[in-house]
Amino acid sequence: MGDLRTVVIIEKNLLIQAGLESILSELPRLVIIGFYTGDEPNLNVLLTKQDPDIMFLNPQCLDVPAANFLNQLKGKINPLIFGLLDDNAPESLKSPFADRLMFSDNKQQIQNKIQERCNLNNDPHDKAQVLSSREITILKHVVLGLTNQEIADKLFLSVHTVMTHRKNINKKLGIKTVSGLMVYALMNQLVSMEDLGDKI
Amino acid sequence: MLIDQNMKMADVVLHDPTLVPIINRFGVHLGMGDLNISEICKKHNLHLQFFTTILNAFHDKLYFPKEQLQSFPARLFVDYLQKAHRYFLEEKIPEIAGLIKETIQESSVNQKSYAIIERFFVHYRDEFRTHIQREEVKVFPYVLKLEKALEEDKITPEIEQLFHEYPITEYQAEHENVEEKIFDLKNIIVRHLPTPNNDRLWYQILREIFTLEKELNEHSRIEDLILIPKVKAMENELKLKMAK
Repeated sequence: MGDLRTVVIIEKNLLIQAGLESILSELPRLVIIGFYTGDEPNLNVLLTKQDPDIMFLNPQCLDVPAANFLNQLKGKINPLIFGLLDDNAPESLKSPFADRLMFSDNKQQIQNKIQERCNLNNDPHDKAQVLSSREITILKHVVLGLTNQEIADKLFLSVHTVMTHRKNINKKLGIKTVSGLMVYALMNQLVSMEDLGDKI
Repeated sequence: MLIDQNMKMADVVLHDPTLVPIINRFGVHLGMGDLNISEICKKHNLHLQFFTTILNAFHDKLYFPKEQLQSFPARLFVDYLQKAHRYFLEEKIPEIAGLIKETIQESSVNQKSYAIIERFFVHYRDEFRTHIQREEVKVFPYVLKLEKALEEDKITPEIEQLFHEYPITEYQAEHENVEEKIFDLKNIIVRHLPTPNNDRLWYQILREIFTLEKELNEHSRIEDLILIPKVKAMENELKLKMAK
């Protein structure tokens, strides 16, 4: 979604949830897309579906150790994770988190930590949001129905590289589905109706 | 603001008009006079706590009392979700489709491009309908039978078979995200639309899409956070009983 960052908060204490929401609302480019209390039985499925950029997690509201929980998400989603931590919490609870927000932190400290780690201050316009010619080629193949493997073979790339290109295309255009990409490709005359046949 | 049973229904709607489609699902309509919520529920034969909890959950995204919501019988949710489905399929989506059609007719430029967007929306509608049908034909009847079997303490071979064939985890796996297309549609209109000569109509479409998205999010929140965990708990109870 361009340079906006999506955020989820996992915290059972509602005062802290609401407090963090208010602090985040003063920072640029952060959009909260989910609040959880940590006891949802299918939480890892829901998070995988949402694929947030940033996650605030209080390990004390999970019914499993935070390290196990984070392991379940590994490989599927890769958000930047901040621990929400009680100052008195044992070191074992704090250790899975490189980035920590402590309950005793004041507003300025919290905002500084987030801004520093999330690079909220850099100029969003420094990277172009238009597609490169390689990305346009890959986009055309995608809407014509080729699989990642077929595209990789055709362009002498690894499947991994094709997937990275596709992710960047989705991000730049703000379009996630193949049929959404078809609309874009047709409107910009990258492909024709005849090329797509009965796919659309 | 927390909505409680002693508030006038009219005051609640004047405070948050986006609740109108929600109360419609319960059979409550505009022109509601001066009745408070508890009187409205009596008049329409509604479950008072369930009604107020749903209103609050829709009104305030931070209000979501999971324990309380999970204490209501599953049939209340199934009934509510089915009515919501009707609303999406028979009112909201046709309304947006109609708006798109009207907008294209009134466009003097880029009609071809806009027709592609219309096609995309039709695809979305079909996909949404398939998704809903699966829920109504497979998932909801299973949930209702499961609840009945547990309430009456009668574990029939039918329910055992359904449980083995189609546990709720299966449904969860295929509970695909129909919201992704809505996300795309918003981006296509805001970022990539060839400049129209009738912004006002496109703005109207955009507003309706945002409303639809909000309503769908609320709908999935109830399915994902209440119904599925509730059915999982019922399945565990069934497993225990079958083991005996």
